[in-house]
Amino acid sequence: VRRVALVGAGMTAFGEHFDLGIKDLLPMAVTEAVASVDKGFDRADIDAAWFGELTTTDGFPSGILVDSCGLLDVPVTRVENACATGNDALRNAVYGVGSGMLDVALVIGADKVRESSARGTFWEWMGLTRDMAWDYPIGVVAPANFALHVNRYLHESSATREHLAMVAVKNHHHGVTNPKAQLRHEITIEQVLDAPMVVEPFGLYDCTPQSDGAAALLVVGEEIVDRYTDRPVWVRGVGLGLDRVMHQHKADMTTFPPTVKAAMQAYAMAGVGPADIDVAEVHDCFTGVELIDYEDLGFCERFGAAALIESGETAVGGRLPVNPSGGLKSKGHPPGATGIAQCVELFEQLRGESTNQVDRARLALAHNIGGPTAVSAVTILGSAKG
Amino acid sequence: VSIRVVGTYLPSWGTRDARAVGTDEDALTIAVECGRAAMVDRNFDVRHVVLVTRDLPLLEGGNSAALLAGLGLSASTGVVEQIGGAPAALDAVFTAAPGTLVIGADCGSGVGCGAAAVLLADGRGIKLTPVARVQRSLPSRARGSDGSVHDYDDPRLTRERGVRAALADAGIARKAVAAVGLGPKDAATLCDGDAPRVPTTGASAPLFALAALADTRAGGLLLAFEQASMTAAEVVPGSTTVRRREREPEPLPKQRVTPGPEIRISLPAYERAFDAKVRLEAGCCPHCGTLALPPRHRCLGCGAEGEAALTELPRDAIVYTTTTVHTPVPGLATPYTIVIVELGDTGVRLLAQVTGAPPGNVGIGTRGEMVLRRVAERSGIPDYGYAFLPESGPRAQVAR
Repeated sequence: VRRVALVGAGMTAFGEHFDLGIKDLLPMAVTEAVASVDKGFDRADIDAAWFGELTTTDGFPSGILVDSCGLLDVPVTRVENACATGNDALRNAVYGVGSGMLDVALVIGADKVRESSARGTFWEWMGLTRDMAWDYPIGVVAPANFALHVNRYLHESSATREHLAMVAVKNHHHGVTNPKAQLRHEITIEQVLDAPMVVEPFGLYDCTPQSDGAAALLVVGEEIVDRYTDRPVWVRGVGLGLDRVMHQHKADMTTFPPTVKAAMQAYAMAGVGPADIDVAEVHDCFTGVELIDYEDLGFCERFGAAALIESGETAVGGRLPVNPSGGLKSKGHPPGATGIAQCVELFEQLRGESTNQVDRARLALAHNIGGPTAVSAVTILGSAKG
Repeated sequence: VSIRVVGTYLPSWGTRDARAVGTDEDALTIAVECGRAAMVDRNFDVRHVVLVTRDLPLLEGGNSAALLAGLGLSASTGVVEQIGGAPAALDAVFTAAPGTLVIGADCGSGVGCGAAAVLLADGRGIKLTPVARVQRSLPSRARGSDGSVHDYDDPRLTRERGVRAALADAGIARKAVAAVGLGPKDAATLCDGDAPRVPTTGASAPLFALAALADTRAGGLLLAFEQASMTAAEVVPGSTTVRRREREPEPLPKQRVTPGPEIRISLPAYERAFDAKVRLEAGCCPHCGTLALPPRHRCLGCGAEGEAALTELPRDAIVYTTTTVHTPVPGLATPYTIVIVELGDTGVRLLAQVTGAPPGNVGIGTRGEMVLRRVAERSGIPDYGYAFLPESGPRAQVAR
């Protein structure tokens, strides 16, 4: 198979962009990605694009991408795979370029969560994820979707609400130096525990903010990498895993089987294991989810996540820094852009350019879990071709 | 015809003197509660159901199917949906044939909240004989065409030109064993000795009175009033079983309702799900017996495809996981508690809201039962399904 590399990456700041529409955010992300290419990039080189967007804003997504970014001759495929959308868009582009049918692809993700009222998004999201007759009216809003898992996890494991709070404190600390992050302030364990309850066991600081933003990657085939950069970031592995959709059909809610499946595919493709990963950006839409991710991705044994977060090894400076960008928790979470933005951070980490740089980062992992906790995408990036 | 069983239901909320229905209850769900209580022994073949209430949820149609599904009766069972109060319910009892379940359900303003059902069959139960019917008009309460309630609010007028005039018309001068459809003071003046106090004054009231008379084995005149109308019956004592679903009440939890968009509904999806959802039945694979809720085309166990027959699920449930939503959700009353429960030993799980207990009152491992509730009102349509009623713990059920 033809090897594939990232030669450029860029993103808008994540936040409540009431003043910017999707037609503004998309060209901003593309322009930043193009500007990051060391030897210059002509957007006329783009053979095809994959556009990840969860909910459409201002109408027909693919058309809006080409129209707003000066890409009228580029074929676009829209990808929607719940919170795994961004990394799945990259996965599809990797298949396209890896096949040799294309040389240069644009992967872009965007969403404007704050285009709806703060609470109006609850029903939009439930409409995307719930069985219309059986589950939709029950009111499993996004935090409840994960709280049903995390409460069972807290019941079976030794983890406590304090361990959840440690995730929030760590990721807020990481986000302080990230100019693209939405919540750039330190918090304390006490603040997390004392915050107003949103959905038990998640208080306000256990939850990701609602965000707008866009992120873009430029993906090229191995023979032409040199045209653009001498410091490419190689896509070493991709994976996508699914599960039964309804919560009542998930036998063990202390784990996310889609993550396990996606990770196994990505590790196998890369020929590496969890012990080889130097830095990771994982899905932490709600604090407890990051703990379950540690176990599903193989960063620790089952029910070992409480000890791992307690040890500090997943903070920058530790053995396996997780979410140096601030994660979804601090950086923000416009779902279509989230996975792409993780790869933007890891692109910078692997080139030694991050604002929160991890020492000797050579192999990196990005991960999302979402929708009705029934889909996960994992991407493994490396500074070496492998 | 005799009354073999009386089933009663009182909602969990309010006070002993003034019960209140929960936001997930209506006349239909409370009718199902008392009807299932009456049929709990399953010894009788129920061929007709008469529901008397002034609060039918679906005036344009659809109540009967939901009622039969909730009661677990065949869709070919005869149903009468009758608008009426206490006299109409008493009338329905002594005009019914054996094999009829007569239900009175009250949850409107001014008549209290509760429901009671009597199951009629040949045998040695309480017997009723008609004494008098009087239909007179004194609309001291009226609902305008927009649904708004108008009260004339003159209790003495109602007493003189309603109750007393009706008794005079019927030529009844003797004391009764029970009088319903009136305030407790007015009822007491019409009765000998300890007249039973009943929790409602609407259609369920004479049926609650019959439950009380079954307990005390008292006989005599039973008077049922509504405004200036009356039905009177002679109660002949007999052997009648009483099944009560009456928990100790607790105050309605403080919830806030955030205005929001209408919760949308797909009627094809509603109709496809109806039988399994309102009867609480799973698809059962004809090849390997694997149960599926909701029923599905392709079996979870063996992969066989095709339509699976529906099979009844147990209603005893244990909480696998739970959460309580505090953040305001448009269109829903918050906080509310969600559970995933396991049903009996089937391995089948169900996602549901908690009912009959304050939010946050259940944990993993809490036991309870699944009960029919109006899970939501979606674009004006009551969406019936099952909610988890936790065991009442120290507040034990009042059972007799």
